[in-house]
Amino acid sequence: MPTEVIMPALGMAQETGKLVRWIKNEGDTVTKGEPLMEIETDKVTVEIEAPANGVLGGISAAEGEDIPVGRAVAYVLAAGEDLPQVVAVPAAAPVQSAAPAVAPTTNGSSTTVEPSGRRVLASPKARRLAREHGLRIEDLKGTGPHGAIQAADVVAQDAPRVASAQPVTSNAWKTMADRMQQSWRDVPHFFLERELDATRLNSWRDMIRRRPGYEKVTHTDLLIVVCAAALVEHPRVNATWRDGAVQYQDSINVGIAVATEESLIVPVVHGADRLELKAVAQSRGDLVARARDRKLRPADVSDGTFTISNLGMFGVDAFHAIVNTPQAAILAVGRILDRIVAVDGEPAVRPTMTVSLSFDHRVVDGAEGARFLDTLAALVEEPAGLVR
Amino acid sequence: MSSPSAVVTGARELTISQAVNEALAEELRRDPTVFLIGEDVAEAGHPFKVLSGLVDEFGPERVIDSPISEAGITGLGLGAAITGMRPVVDIMFGDFLTLIMDQVVNQAAKIHYMSGGSLKAPLTIRTTLGASRRSGAQHSQSLHAWVAHIPGLKVCLPSTPADAKGLLKSAIRDDNPVVVFEDKMMYTVKGLVPDGDHLVPLGLADVKREGEDVTVIATSSMVHVALSAAGELERDGISVEVVDPRTIAPLDRATLVASARKTGRVIVVDEGHQSYGASAELAAVIAEDAFWYLDAPVMRFGAMDVPIPFSPVLEDQTVPTPERVAEAALRLLGKGR
Repeated sequence: MPTEVIMPALGMAQETGKLVRWIKNEGDTVTKGEPLMEIETDKVTVEIEAPANGVLGGISAAEGEDIPVGRAVAYVLAAGEDLPQVVAVPAAAPVQSAAPAVAPTTNGSSTTVEPSGRRVLASPKARRLAREHGLRIEDLKGTGPHGAIQAADVVAQDAPRVASAQPVTSNAWKTMADRMQQSWRDVPHFFLERELDATRLNSWRDMIRRRPGYEKVTHTDLLIVVCAAALVEHPRVNATWRDGAVQYQDSINVGIAVATEESLIVPVVHGADRLELKAVAQSRGDLVARARDRKLRPADVSDGTFTISNLGMFGVDAFHAIVNTPQAAILAVGRILDRIVAVDGEPAVRPTMTVSLSFDHRVVDGAEGARFLDTLAALVEEPAGLVR
Repeated sequence: MSSPSAVVTGARELTISQAVNEALAEELRRDPTVFLIGEDVAEAGHPFKVLSGLVDEFGPERVIDSPISEAGITGLGLGAAITGMRPVVDIMFGDFLTLIMDQVVNQAAKIHYMSGGSLKAPLTIRTTLGASRRSGAQHSQSLHAWVAHIPGLKVCLPSTPADAKGLLKSAIRDDNPVVVFEDKMMYTVKGLVPDGDHLVPLGLADVKREGEDVTVIATSSMVHVALSAAGELERDGISVEVVDPRTIAPLDRATLVASARKTGRVIVVDEGHQSYGASAELAAVIAEDAFWYLDAPVMRFGAMDVPIPFSPVLEDQTVPTPERVAEAALRLLGKGR
């Protein structure tokens, strides 16, 4: 029996998956575990591996198509195996030109137009204008010599296209938009803010970076460890509002907000309270890198219980974040900067940072939030107990 | 001084021939170190009658008929320039530049540099270019690109009486060797010339006609080809800008590029042979500095890459015409006929 390559369900409520691209082509020999295709769910882009050894055949899904989960999109044929009858018909009778355009072909080429093939003919001016107008040159129709896109084509197509100029909004972006809107609408937010002395945090990082294996530790890593420790003491902040009741979580999973080219995504360091700093740093580095490369797996973005959003590297002093539902709290971290503070009644220069916590008031009240912030502040300002 | 004329009381209509004559007379009058030397420049007043009357006013010691030896008079002129004179050497046909290349390229262009700046060569060479005069392959070439290629030489390509006068006067006053090419078919072209001490600075292009849709960069007599094409295209509702560099060395890149950026389409027209010519340099400047503003490839027209034929029918086919420039403009606009 040929082995089916199916569109998998990667999320609980997922109904379709988008086939981003085929990594292997019809007729390619594939080994079990080798990436076959790339699919996009509402959260992530994932490579789907070959389910068996053999030859890839009977491809029935085109790149860019949304496919119901569970549907077979191709087969892996072992030696001597043929495609199942229903798929084999058009392939076995290529002379019948009535075969639909999406029917699989046997020559190994995809039936879709290769978007990365020939360069689109467009004048330099048209390309510049398209870029300035936020249009993709590939989406424009040219009326110049040989169908080249000229400036007039960009201008002509820009006006009606303005509203739909970004039809390429990714699923990940739509998901983010929906979730932010839902959180801002449904979650009663409140915010607590505090300026912290980062002297010890800085020295902790500087010291730890000298240790082999810790060279790449960042402030974010330290904050993951600090937050995880604070969450152990304040399980309420780690809880969630579900079905009209507060529900505590079994584990402490700290998410990191990462801005990628196409969306904001929050990969999660699972069990952060049980991980040693080195493991936290490794995990965070790996997650961020894969987030930027669109290589996150669904599990990487699931089950977060608390989120850290750090905009310090962008020079932000302080900001308020939107709670990442169904979590109860998110920490917004500003930049560390030498500032003048009062120390023992005298002005002194200290590296400080302003952190702001956003809470879901259904789960955490002001007093509990303040106690959590106090614990967090104490750990940031004197992390000695956490330094191992 | 490369400033516009200080006293402009008005303008008179002159031919290019009259404008050149005036420029020389004014400079001969103004500066006793200026003199003319060349074949048939005195009594004959030049085959094109450009110099008529000069010998009468300035005498045979300042308007000197020379033997037929281009290399000799150019070398003489260069020596005089180095030792304090401002000679204007007349090379009757631009084709004879071949005979003076050592004096011009190896000596005149280099002497200021190789003397560490202690010597100057304020030498002006007046010569001609252009076909269509039924002069045959050895008297019809436009060799200005040869000279423009050499650092140390300046090259003027006047297209109007005003520019012919103003550029020549600036050339004579310039401390560097300058080669002024006059189109031999244009001496009777008329135009207004400002009164007074009219100077045109070297290195300043002139927009001869403003337009929005296509830029035609044209030199010398090709400016008139471009203007004629522009008039033709205007009837089709196409607005052509005509830019005249006036000097190709030094070159006013900024004006050329600004026009290219404005219209997004450029045609270069120059009467030198099309391959490896001035048109290639001008097109390259546009490609380099206006690339992201171009809506079509830069096109160029030069003389065909053949010896200029003596046969009138054939000769007229070798040089750019208003019709061909207009056709090219329409093609660039996607409105090919």
